[in-house]
Amino acid sequence: MSTRTIALCDLLGRTVRDTNGTSIGRIEELNAEIDLHGDGNDYVVTSVSVGRFGVLDVIATGRFVQHLGRRLARLTGYARSEIPWDWLDFGDPARPRLLRAAHELSRDG
Amino acid sequence: MGAVHLAYEVVDSQLVDRHEQKIGRVDALLLEAEPGKPLRVATIVIGAAARARRVGGWFAATRRALRALAGIRAEHESRIPFSAVRRIGDTIQLDVEERALESEHFERWLGDHVICRIPGASGASK
Amino acid sequence: MKKWGEIALGVVTSIGGFLEVGSIATSVQGGAIFHFQLAWVLVLGTASLAFLMEMTGRLAAVSRRTYADLLRERFGYRFFVVPLLAVFIVSLLVLTSEIGGVAIALQLATGIAFRWWAIPIALIGWLLLWRGTFSIVEQGTAMLGLVALTFAVGAVKLHPDWGTLGRALLPSTPSRDSARYWYIAVSMLGASISPYLYLFYSAGAIEDAWTIEYLSVNRITAGLGNLFGGGLAIAALVTAALVFEPRGIQVDRYEQIALVLATPLGRAGLVLFIATLCITCFGSTLEIALAIAYLLAQGFGWQWSENLKPGKDARFSTSYTVLIVLAAVPIALGADPLQLTNLSMVVTAASLPVTVIPLLVLMNDGDVLDTHVNGWISNTALVVIALLSVVLLVAALPLQLLGGG
Repeated sequence: MSTRTIALCDLLGRTVRDTNGTSIGRIEELNAEIDLHGDGNDYVVTSVSVGRFGVLDVIATGRFVQHLGRRLARLTGYARSEIPWDWLDFGDPARPRLLRAAHELSRDG
Repeated sequence: MGAVHLAYEVVDSQLVDRHEQKIGRVDALLLEAEPGKPLRVATIVIGAAARARRVGGWFAATRRALRALAGIRAEHESRIPFSAVRRIGDTIQLDVEERALESEHFERWLGDHVICRIPGASGASK
Repeated sequence: MKKWGEIALGVVTSIGGFLEVGSIATSVQGGAIFHFQLAWVLVLGTASLAFLMEMTGRLAAVSRRTYADLLRERFGYRFFVVPLLAVFIVSLLVLTSEIGGVAIALQLATGIAFRWWAIPIALIGWLLLWRGTFSIVEQGTAMLGLVALTFAVGAVKLHPDWGTLGRALLPSTPSRDSARYWYIAVSMLGASISPYLYLFYSAGAIEDAWTIEYLSVNRITAGLGNLFGGGLAIAALVTAALVFEPRGIQVDRYEQIALVLATPLGRAGLVLFIATLCITCFGSTLEIALAIAYLLAQGFGWQWSENLKPGKDARFSTSYTVLIVLAAVPIALGADPLQLTNLSMVVTAASLPVTVIPLLVLMNDGDVLDTHVNGWISNTALVVIALLSVVLLVAALPLQLLGGG
């Protein structure tokens, strides 16, 4: 069993691509919950929020621009998806992969 | 217990110890990845090296080089298991003692060697 | 009832606190060359500061965190480094100028050259911060700072043409010497809208344990305080306009500035000017040293409070100690305080975007402010101020080269 350590900040802002290599947005947030099957003390990432920032997408690697993108949602066409943890592969932290095709995602405005 | 938003609520948040003493901010958050399992939130890191890395690889490298030049070797960093988290709110409370933290080394050193030499530095309150 | 006391104190603090070496120097220089014409710049600067202070005060009262806290928490460390560096460098420059202001005042009073006063001033300032509480520092400088009202008295005694002054409160373009006009305008704005002012105000709200109940106190303090403070800066401009401009006196040394109150108030005027310069600059010295220390402590998560004994917040106390001594060095080495002041005001104006633009995001963030996010008035004001800050950034360097003294 190979356990790797990843710094959270290395994941934030990364572009997530689907099985076809299409970009589905940038990692905005990792949502964690307590794992009830463990010893009760462990938090695990249950879903990842990925955002599309339209025009700002190119520079939306940091939190400030992402904040700005959310504020200007109507102008940039901002859209967000919540992706369950098992749909993602973090084998290469710099290039997170969606294990499905883009159209299978549900959009939460 | 609801979901914890790691970027919004944890990283860069103010940390306090058992006695509500400020002990720095979450400078880095380490996750453990095991194939077939969700990412586990493993460790809170408090330290200047972690901060430097977040600015950029070039910044961290320059910092290392300058410190090597000045002969400073020790990196005073604290790595605290995420299981020590007691409360996540305006601040994140950890079940630790400020005295025991390596990252508070400079605060203690200043307090013991510099500040205490100057009159009026300690006592009950102002 | 207690709230009214706090409002009064806050207003009084702002009155005395508004005037310091930057506003005195730029207002007097502006009045000496362009008569009342630049008064509108002071109106613009004062109004902008009032809005910015109300906002950072509201941030603190609602979220129980300072603006500096939120800059790190909301936008991450990598972003935070930018305003951290900008405010640190700029504020240190202004801190040096304030110590220079006190030193010049003491030179005028005693005849001993200003260089020799730099270190003693730093030590006394340090001692007050070391031993004093936040209330003592705040209230002390507030009460003593009321000596700045001298400018209002002096201005009225000179019987200004109120009609001309009224018209000057509206924007106008210069009929001559454009570069110099806009250069002084930019430095006036840098003197009025200094980041350390609204950062300090935000930290002060936490030191004074403000909560949501203090939102109206916040609004009144920020509004009235700056209204009166700005009025004093305009009074300084008016006085200089009526004393220097008719005689064609170009003001480029503090010894000349000191005479601005001698005409309306005689020998007492000179003494009061010296007292005003000394006290207001000293108050600002304490405030800026604390403001930078707050920024460092809050950004890095150290223990901090002016109400704690220094042993309890070692890094914070060491910070303001080092800062105040460091800032005294250039003055001790003989740097020209007036040139330093003019330079630091322009640099301040240029640095504004990095602390104004993040407010655009924060003041509309429901997670931080709940239902107290900006309404359309505050947002409009903020957008205008943000645009102004970008204009200042672009114009600062060219103007420094073309219009600088």
